[in-house]
Amino acid sequence: MTTPAMEIDAVDVGFGPPGQRTEVLSNINLSVNKNEFVAIIGFSGSGKSTLMNLLAGIQPPSTGAVRMNGEPVLRPGPERGILFQNYSLLPWLSVYGNIDLAVKQVFPAKSTSERKEYIQRYIDMVSLSGSEWKKPAELSGGMRQRLSLARTLAMQPEVLLLDEPLSALDALTRANLQDEIIRIWEEDRRTVIMITNDVDEAVLMADRIVALTPGPEATLGKSFPVTLDRPRDRTTLNFNPEFIKLRNEVTKYMVGINHEAKKLRVSADLPLPDLMPIDFNSYDRKPRLAEDLSVTTSESTSVAKTENHELVGAADE
Amino acid sequence: MPEQTRIEKIKYGLLKTIDVSGFKVFDPVVRLFFGEEPQKQVKDITRYMLMPILFVCCCLVIWNFVAPRHKTKSGEVPTPEQVWSALKVNDTLHNRENEKESDFTLSDKERDERIKEVEILIAKKEEESKKLKEDLTTIDAEVTKKKDESLAPLKAKYTELKAAHKEARAERAAEAQKMADAVAEKKSGTEDLLTLLRQSNKTKELEKEKEQVVKDQIAKINDDKPKVLQNAKMASDSVATEVQHLKKRLDYLTSGNRSMKVGKAKESATTALTKLESAQSSAEILAAAKTVVKSEERADKIAKQEYPRASTIWFQMWRSLFTVFIGFMMAAVVAIPVGIMCGLNRVAMACLTPIISIFKPVSPVVWLLIFQIVVGAFFPNPETHPFFLFLNSLPIVGRLNSNPALIFSACTVAMCALWPALVNTALGVSSVENDHINVAKVLRLGLWSRLTKIIIPSSLPLVFAGLRISLGVGWMVLIAAEALSSSEGLGKYVWDQYQNGSSLTFANILLACFVIGIIGFILDRIMIVLQRAVSFDDGAATV
Repeated sequence: MTTPAMEIDAVDVGFGPPGQRTEVLSNINLSVNKNEFVAIIGFSGSGKSTLMNLLAGIQPPSTGAVRMNGEPVLRPGPERGILFQNYSLLPWLSVYGNIDLAVKQVFPAKSTSERKEYIQRYIDMVSLSGSEWKKPAELSGGMRQRLSLARTLAMQPEVLLLDEPLSALDALTRANLQDEIIRIWEEDRRTVIMITNDVDEAVLMADRIVALTPGPEATLGKSFPVTLDRPRDRTTLNFNPEFIKLRNEVTKYMVGINHEAKKLRVSADLPLPDLMPIDFNSYDRKPRLAEDLSVTTSESTSVAKTENHELVGAADE
Repeated sequence: MPEQTRIEKIKYGLLKTIDVSGFKVFDPVVRLFFGEEPQKQVKDITRYMLMPILFVCCCLVIWNFVAPRHKTKSGEVPTPEQVWSALKVNDTLHNRENEKESDFTLSDKERDERIKEVEILIAKKEEESKKLKEDLTTIDAEVTKKKDESLAPLKAKYTELKAAHKEARAERAAEAQKMADAVAEKKSGTEDLLTLLRQSNKTKELEKEKEQVVKDQIAKINDDKPKVLQNAKMASDSVATEVQHLKKRLDYLTSGNRSMKVGKAKESATTALTKLESAQSSAEILAAAKTVVKSEERADKIAKQEYPRASTIWFQMWRSLFTVFIGFMMAAVVAIPVGIMCGLNRVAMACLTPIISIFKPVSPVVWLLIFQIVVGAFFPNPETHPFFLFLNSLPIVGRLNSNPALIFSACTVAMCALWPALVNTALGVSSVENDHINVAKVLRLGLWSRLTKIIIPSSLPLVFAGLRISLGVGWMVLIAAEALSSSEGLGKYVWDQYQNGSSLTFANILLACFVIGIIGFILDRIMIVLQRAVSFDDGAATV
């Protein structure tokens, strides 16, 4: 068996001081083969971004290990290009400048003219030609994400990590960009791990879909292989029975695990305290005892705690 | 998108310039000029330009009305007109200094020409002055005559009143005497005498009051200076001072001229030299040789002499600007690196927090005194210190007569301007977006490129916001420091005006107030432009 391009081995991630620790991810196991396109699908708040940071090396695992080609991932690096959800462009640099920063850092040996040609190739690849000297603020959302994509691709990463790359875009731009990413990916296939909350997107783009159960203590659930032929055409795909079947299957599974998770949670109804207005005639107007005070405070904190728990648990959309 | 025409390009270029410089008020004017939605622009202009102008005019009118009605120890509060004339007077003073300076340095043929010019001017002005003086005397005579005419009846009334009152007083005294006699002879009681005396005292008061009324009337007429007389006097005075100035110029062109002085010194050197050649005894030779060397040295010294300029308001202004610039630069040079360090490193921040917290609220006055002592120790002989020799030999800066006072004023400015820049820089650096930091991490940027490529560009808007506050604080502190330490500058100008108490004092102080305000405003605008230039998010406030 060959070593997987990207591997997550029994990883737990938790935050907070001991005692009040919240486990965001627990017992995650994932293995991605070379040149495979894996989509991880999950509800928002289930720890998707933490999973992405884990893969990138920005967030170290609490236990377990993340490995790339068998080597443990200890810190972020250009070999794992990450496409952030909110573009992460540097607003004081132009389109060219943003890419140039990455290229200069990753390929310091390139001469100025080589670099120029190289950068131009990536700008053309994401159809941003003509906007080389615009600042990110002058670009639309789709153009910004395209620029971000160009910057990531220009680093020639072995593994491409897409962190909900299209979730901030409108539906039409998103469809456009999906096609573009697929086109570029098909040109030179490399390992891609994409996180998304859109089932259609996952089915359309990925080779394999892995579900992430809702947090806390999110873990990876069932895995669905996508065997649709490539290139996949979104117009005809809608009538493809296999596509429809797979989409329904995934959706059903996701709704199911969400339902399960909800059942596991404490009832969402907070019991209202049974209070009656005080009858001031019978009320003994003495200062309250310190004991009374302490009792009330401890009560209120316990209420706050349950509330807090509810907020963490409410991970559905 | 259609291509922009040339006119449109000019228009949007102009609009952008206005926007960047923070003069958004002029936006509708430009748009109106290019004929864009005239109705809307006219409405905007009335609202945001004409109304403020009207309001300022209202303020001026109120000032003009209220000012002369408030009498102070140093005269009435000056009206806007008087402040304006103070500006003109100060400007004339400045120009005269310039003229005298150029006269002082002229030599040879140019000097001769200048002398002729000045002599012609003097003749003309003296004639004018003579005529004005004559006018003044005639007007003065007329006014005095008129005054005497109106005073005569009042004076007569006054003497009359006084005489009558004197008589009445004598009568009352006699009566009192009579009563006292009666009491002595036991013909009547003391009661009546006391009543009489009380009564007479009251009458005396009344009489005095009546006299005072007439006296006041006389004084009022005496004090009254008709406008004609005032104007004539002012005109005569101004020409007289002009003549005085021209004579002074002539002096600087002739005996006080630098080249003349040098010539004189050289002459004495040559005479001494001939004496040396003809000298016989060793004592004579030694004495003559000494004179030669001395005269030569003097000639050299005079040749290097500069015109001793009196400090006019514009000179003080440039000096203040130079001082604040030095102080501001000192503050920036310290604050930005330290701020970056604090923003990057929480330990550094923790270390500096007590120092910042304790020294930030300290009054500039205290810093001034401390720096006066500390800086003074560095320059025991400021006239010969290489630092000041260097500063004063520079082309433009050299004219500002840099001295230790300038350095410790600048240090005070720096000390007070340091904190806003430091705190803002630290804030800017520590609040760099996490996404940008992640980019740096993924790219594995080193510390230096992380600083120059990500952290500094990202925090620049906040850094400049801090520098803008710093410059404002610095300018305010500087004026106070100059007034307190008598370091040349606008602060000293105000202080000197307050101390010397001429008729123009108050107007000059108000003038300085406007000059200080306008310069502060311009400095702030410059900082806004810089801040906008480095801002990538158009987030810089313009107010």
